[in-house]
Amino acid sequence: MAQADMLWRGLRGVALTLVVVFFLFPIFWIVLMSFETNETVLQVPPTLTPHLTLQNYVALLSGKLNTATGIINITFLHNLWNSVLLSTCSVLVALILGVPAAYAFARFRFRGGEDIAFTLLSFRFAPPLLVLLPLTLYFQDIGLSNTYVGLIWIYQLICLPLILWIVRGYFEDASPDIEYAYRVDGHSWWKAFTKIAIPLAGPGIAAAALLSFIFAWNNFVFALVLASADKQPVTVGALAFVTASGIQYGIIAAAIVLSILPTLALALYAQRWLVEGLSLGAVKG
Amino acid sequence: MYEKAKDLCEAFQARGIGRRDLMRRLAALGITAGIADMLVNATATRALAADFDWKAYKGTSLKLLLNKHPYADSMIADLEAFKTLTGMDVTYDIFPEDVYFDKVTAALSSHSTEYDAFMTGAYQTWQYGPAGWLVDMNEFLQDKSKVAPNYDWEDILPNLRASDSWSGKPGDALGGPGAKQWALPWGFEVYMLTYNKPVFDKLKLTPPKNMQELMTTAATITQSGGNGMYGVGLRGSRSWATIHPGFLSGYANFGGRDFTVADGKLKSAVNSKESKEFTAQFVQMVQDSGPKNWATYTWYEVGADLGAGTSGMIYDADSLGYFTATGDTKMKGQLGFAPIAPNPEMSHPTSNVWIWSLAMSNFSKRKDATWLFMQWATGTDHLLFGAREHDMIDPVRSSIWKDSEFQAHMEQKVPGFLETYQVTSPDAKIYFTPQPLFFNVTTDWAAALQRMVAKQIPVSEGLDALAAATDRQMSDAGLG
Repeated sequence: MAQADMLWRGLRGVALTLVVVFFLFPIFWIVLMSFETNETVLQVPPTLTPHLTLQNYVALLSGKLNTATGIINITFLHNLWNSVLLSTCSVLVALILGVPAAYAFARFRFRGGEDIAFTLLSFRFAPPLLVLLPLTLYFQDIGLSNTYVGLIWIYQLICLPLILWIVRGYFEDASPDIEYAYRVDGHSWWKAFTKIAIPLAGPGIAAAALLSFIFAWNNFVFALVLASADKQPVTVGALAFVTASGIQYGIIAAAIVLSILPTLALALYAQRWLVEGLSLGAVKG
Repeated sequence: MYEKAKDLCEAFQARGIGRRDLMRRLAALGITAGIADMLVNATATRALAADFDWKAYKGTSLKLLLNKHPYADSMIADLEAFKTLTGMDVTYDIFPEDVYFDKVTAALSSHSTEYDAFMTGAYQTWQYGPAGWLVDMNEFLQDKSKVAPNYDWEDILPNLRASDSWSGKPGDALGGPGAKQWALPWGFEVYMLTYNKPVFDKLKLTPPKNMQELMTTAATITQSGGNGMYGVGLRGSRSWATIHPGFLSGYANFGGRDFTVADGKLKSAVNSKESKEFTAQFVQMVQDSGPKNWATYTWYEVGADLGAGTSGMIYDADSLGYFTATGDTKMKGQLGFAPIAPNPEMSHPTSNVWIWSLAMSNFSKRKDATWLFMQWATGTDHLLFGAREHDMIDPVRSSIWKDSEFQAHMEQKVPGFLETYQVTSPDAKIYFTPQPLFFNVTTDWAAALQRMVAKQIPVSEGLDALAAATDRQMSDAGLG
């Protein structure tokens, strides 16, 4: 019996190791590539013990890449800053607009309410290019073309529906009786919303905010079409290393490592709320 | 000393002495390289400005949309000269090629006034021009008062000038009667062989001269190259970019055409006898000696494999061979160049061309000022600077190909390149029939090639099916 138990544990350990290796190997490979020169990356057959160098990170951080054809100026850090700015501001705006709206949709029934909520969700269905070309014309007319404000506004197409629909579910799951009880004590509607409803839906709001941040961070086409090179996020900026004179694989890998760090840090920080938030309401009692 | 230096710079401008000679003599006068560059620039500016009012739009600011490319880098390096010459300011947005044309199309289709001029290929002008998004450059070229006396339009290679001009009527010849000059040629590329010298030496091979030799040589390398090396690198992704380099150059050499034109109607010719003969050999070669993942291969993979020593040769752009031979690659300095006429009955190559050109947005609000910029950017002085000092390795002006300093520069960096170019260039031009569905038709063509290489359909049957599908497409669009 003990032997069978040990065998079972051993097999489970092997299976878990295989799963971990399967999922982590691409990330390990990218991290390894980020410390290699292009020549080593392209070596056939590839080696697991290459000569490691920091030159890719130095190039990204210093903004200068030395190549055989001369020095290439790199704006990656600026692209990274653009991503941080656009994603953070977009999520903040979406939270400010989306959380009260989600509460309203969850708590009140009003004419056209479902239609409005569905219209907001439908922004997620529309192919971005179909929306972007007409928007470009309007943006030029109203002076929002090639501005951070304009981009943050457009990023609401990504963030707002996500936050609204996810958070709405959490508000609906929380019993309104707690808020009624609080208001019976003489507190205002606003106090009930901020002191009772928001804390109860907190994990859900954190989860929705994080998901929105990831979606906004990964967006590619909005800034590409609507803004100049100086306002492009990392998703577009990383392509600068794919040039006619070759692909800088090492630099691209280093850029990927740097660009996943903010999201990774945020996800690790918010992990506790994220798990709670994503599982809350999954099972109705 | 200053007068002597000035005289030397003026002699250089008048092509009396070469740049290297100039630098040597200036150094003898105790002038450092930095000061020498300033003197040369100042002299060039004075020479250019002598007979033409380059300052007419002083204070105007232009904005360019550029693709991240060595040619663009070369222009950026020389922009100060333009600013000094004209008193104008120039800013630019530069985007990677993977997204560049999406950006251009979005800007033009939304009638954006942000960009005054931009980089384009000739194929793209077949869509942009008839849509009314581009300015016909003949408006400026034919107005003598707007053209600087030393801007020698005829000096630009005739096939390239023609390739950037089209009447807009599907099937009409490029550069034919009534053609509009949609863009100005700026840099281009022809298609030739670039080969791995060490492996050719090891296997005692000589560069192939026709398709049969190419197939045999590629097969030998695949069998005996060692270290997983394969014979020939070719593009194979489901894209127009698979058709236009080596494939179309060889196809044209066999007498193949994409369309025949009768009474203004286009009929697919991809299933002609010549087409079937060449395509069968091409497909066989990819199956026997091409890369394993050929159907995913683009410019980048073809270049990366050549640079890593994984492929024995490529039949692709001369610039790809050049960048690989001079870049940070394992095979740096070990690549050779050779012309190829795939049809054994042909004495010379018929290379298709890709032309990086400059076009003016029809929505620009500063068209005359933009014309000054385009004139400067495609003028001899700037292009000479790019050819001598940077990587503008395929100058569009015939005078630059004859420049001794450029020749010496190229011979030192990539021996054999110039000779190969000389053999390849005389019949180099666009071999596609201009029509607005170019990208759809060529993408389908690449998809058909993929099916043939994957043995999902025999070549003859595949080409018949492709011709029928293309004819349907043309008919639906009112073109066939």
